Amino acid sequence: MIGLGYRREMSDWDMSAVQADFFEVAPENWVHRDRAPLHQLIASGRPVHLHGVSLNLGGSSPLDLDFLRAVRELMADLNTTVYSDHLAASGDAHQLYDLFPIPFTRAEVRRVSDRIRQVQDVLGQRLAVENTTWYTNIGELSEADFLAQVAERADCGILLDLNNVTVNHQNHGGHDLTAFVQHIDLERVSYLHVAGHEWDERFGLYIDTHSQPVAPGTAEMARQLNQTHGIPILLEWDNDVPGMDVLNRELACLRPSMTL
Amino acid sequence: MSAAFYDFVRGRSDDVPAGYTAAGLRVYRHLVYLGASQMIEAHFPAVREQLGDDAWRTLIEAYIRQSEWTSPYYGDLKDDFLAYLARESA
Repeated sequence: MIGLGYRREMSDWDMSAVQADFFEVAPENWVHRDRAPLHQLIASGRPVHLHGVSLNLGGSSPLDLDFLRAVRELMADLNTTVYSDHLAASGDAHQLYDLFPIPFTRAEVRRVSDRIRQVQDVLGQRLAVENTTWYTNIGELSEADFLAQVAERADCGILLDLNNVTVNHQNHGGHDLTAFVQHIDLERVSYLHVAGHEWDERFGLYIDTHSQPVAPGTAEMARQLNQTHGIPILLEWDNDVPGMDVLNRELACLRPSMTL
Repeated sequence: MSAAFYDFVRGRSDDVPAGYTAAGLRVYRHLVYLGASQMIEAHFPAVREQLGDDAWRTLIEAYIRQSEWTSPYYGDLKDDFLAYLARESA
């Protein structure tokens, strides 16, 4: 199964020509919007899953129960139970509409996994958490250990973003893709994210822009996990969205047959 | 995460909290600026046009410094921005 992040830019595309088996949208964008385009995708036999950005699992404000109820209603409407958000903070006690690193500490493992459990209790189902790109962070644990311990303690799923692991390794060293994957209980992984990134001279760091083709090593690992463990892959392309031909080519590159 | 982390990100302070890197924090400040600037420009392109680059940047930076946004919906930023302008010109 190969999926694609559905973007508003695609609203006038003939989606039947897009070679994806499933899609993903941000619930924040669809709670208050006409969902007809999503229902069309579902009617074509391709599920639409939810991947959120504003749960603020790492933040300090109480969880937004009204928002969680809206997500639950959206899941019911789209007939999906697949919902993920980021293992990150979207602000302190407030929102800043970005994703900030949670310190990789044992204290944060306990605090954040309690918040994830609370979300799962409200939803009455499992949540998956995504490992994020981070540009600076503190803490005594490695990122892979932090993620593994949170998932274990919260008993939640993992949305494993291979591009984020690659970007973090390029920026900070630490575990490379192979070593990182070895730390993860693959049974918990709902699906994989792949995307592209860019070098930014201004900061001397690789930035997770989602505006480029997937790096070859990242795509190779995705195909491998897809073949050996049957884990679906989803391509994210959120900025400078190219034409359908380019996206179809990228999607084709993720299919296992390409390795033959 | 310390309050100092978010003070840097909002542009309230240039002090780098212990253990973090200045370059990494500057990325976060930049990303928050881009997020706010792009959403507000999308709704008020004429304001951006009228102000020009420098005054626009000054306005958005001031808006972010005082931010206490709570909505989980990024699009609500435009209403909050209008409320901010009303407060500032009161």
